[in-house]
Amino acid sequence: MATGSEPAAGTAGTTPAVPAAPVLDVDGVTLQYKTKEHLITATYRVGFQTYPADRFVILGPSGCGKSTLLKGIAGYLHPVEGEMRLKGNAIRDPGPDRCMVFQEFDQLLPWKTVMGNITFALLNGGKCKSQDEAREIAHEYIRKVKLERFEDTYPHMLSGGMKQRVAIARAMSMEPDILLMDEPFAALDALTRRQMQEELLQLWDDTRFTVIFVTHSIEEAVIVGSRILIMSPHPGQVKAELNAHLHTHDDVGGEGFMALQNRIHGMIFADRVLEEETQPQHA
Amino acid sequence: MPERVIQPYVREELDGRDIGEAVVGDVERRLSVWERVSNIDAVRKLSVLVTLVVAWELYTRISDINELMFPTFSSTGTALYNALVNEGLLINVWNSLSLLLTGYGIGVGIAAMLVVFGVWTRFGSDLLTTLTAMLNPLPAIALLPMAMLWFGLGPAAIVFTLLHSIIWPVALNTHSGFMGVSETQRMVGRNYGLRGLSYIYKILIPAAFPSILTGLRIGWAFAWRTLIAAELVFGGQVADTSGQLGAEGSSAGGLGWIIFQNQMENQTPYVFAGLFAVILVGIIIENGVFRNVEDRTIRRWGMQIG
Repeated sequence: MATGSEPAAGTAGTTPAVPAAPVLDVDGVTLQYKTKEHLITATYRVGFQTYPADRFVILGPSGCGKSTLLKGIAGYLHPVEGEMRLKGNAIRDPGPDRCMVFQEFDQLLPWKTVMGNITFALLNGGKCKSQDEAREIAHEYIRKVKLERFEDTYPHMLSGGMKQRVAIARAMSMEPDILLMDEPFAALDALTRRQMQEELLQLWDDTRFTVIFVTHSIEEAVIVGSRILIMSPHPGQVKAELNAHLHTHDDVGGEGFMALQNRIHGMIFADRVLEEETQPQHA
Repeated sequence: MPERVIQPYVREELDGRDIGEAVVGDVERRLSVWERVSNIDAVRKLSVLVTLVVAWELYTRISDINELMFPTFSSTGTALYNALVNEGLLINVWNSLSLLLTGYGIGVGIAAMLVVFGVWTRFGSDLLTTLTAMLNPLPAIALLPMAMLWFGLGPAAIVFTLLHSIIWPVALNTHSGFMGVSETQRMVGRNYGLRGLSYIYKILIPAAFPSILTGLRIGWAFAWRTLIAAELVFGGQVADTSGQLGAEGSSAGGLGWIIFQNQMENQTPYVFAGLFAVILVGIIIENGVFRNVEDRTIRRWGMQIG
């Protein structure tokens, strides 16, 4: 019953002009997937819009279907109900207009160098016709993520953070309509993670891409996101959509930051307590 | 129950320490000559070989065993040299190899088609796994009698037998390699618009290359053994029917034929030389071809360590 889709305009400052059309329109989407024995409803009638230059974070506890939702947007899963539209066109299949950055380090192809991984995307994704052109663009993005020295290195020689930077460079180099990031920093150590968040925000400052960022860390959501979609689990439903565009690393621990963080914490935690109370106590 | 509760010892902080040059021993030290030499793989393996050869030579000389039963290493070596230089052993080697390569090429092609079919359809996948489960345990050489019946006493019968020893291990390993390709890499491939054959060629094959290479290796080893065995059987057939392969002289046959022929003529050192040639070809292909491919691919990509 608590599906208040009305965004609470609490922390928002001045409202900028409303952009003409959303980049991505998710409209009442229900996603299901099958395991060997069950049919699982991952999300139930989820709806939201993403506008240009949004840093749109999908936040929720595990089991709220946020990763499944992202895979749906990427086109790997088809909704059983509702529709997802990218710039007005219904999403049917995976395509290079939505580039995905995964959590797993093995998203880089181990048989290609850093340069090769990026030109692979550019050439196969149809952005570049010639190898030279692809190399030039790849070079530019490798520079953006500060990996010039590792251009000809194979992924297995790189650290986790470097691998994620290559994956981000690969996705960004395609200049997709929307970047999809599925907990891209979750497998990194805390220090690298923080550094990567900062670098991502800097990259966003440079190019103002539109990104959907899935995470289960409230702090990361507030730092990275300009708008946060909070989902409740089993099945995933929209619980709230909040503004977080005022907060970055600079005010971690600041009053507004903490207030927002606590507010989100309350929303997610309320569910948790209920869930634990209704379940019989085992072990 | 402990009497005292231990409290952490609160001591002075250490801050702003000037880190000078570390002077404790060497940061990097070169290993001794012996350590470095014994770390070279080839050196260690060579020493094993030399030991075996010396033991062989000593045993045959001291025990005074009949040369017809077990020749010395030196006479085997001389026979091998003789066969290579004077009797055109290389032609026999080439006869065997060309037959093998024909079979290998066709076999890998058929295996590839089976696997592609298995990737695209569920029926193909079921067909492939059932066929490999049934036919993989069947030694290829057991098919030779039927092959001779169907194709006659010629290279076609041998190639048919070879196919059987190549297709199943290659198909089985490639298929299981494809199945094991990580979901993330599959999604990456589809994200950048790869479909159908280009998806197989650009994602599945390189990602599954460690298993594919294993399959190719096993296929090669099976085929090489099957080939030599088949040639030996052919030798027997030819002796019986006094015809075909042997008619143009020994140079028409392969290595298995040479081994058979020399055994008939009681030329035991030459039999040993033939066996050696079989081993040598095996080693050369393994180290010259497969090892090389491995170094340039999966080792370089960090998909196989060691």
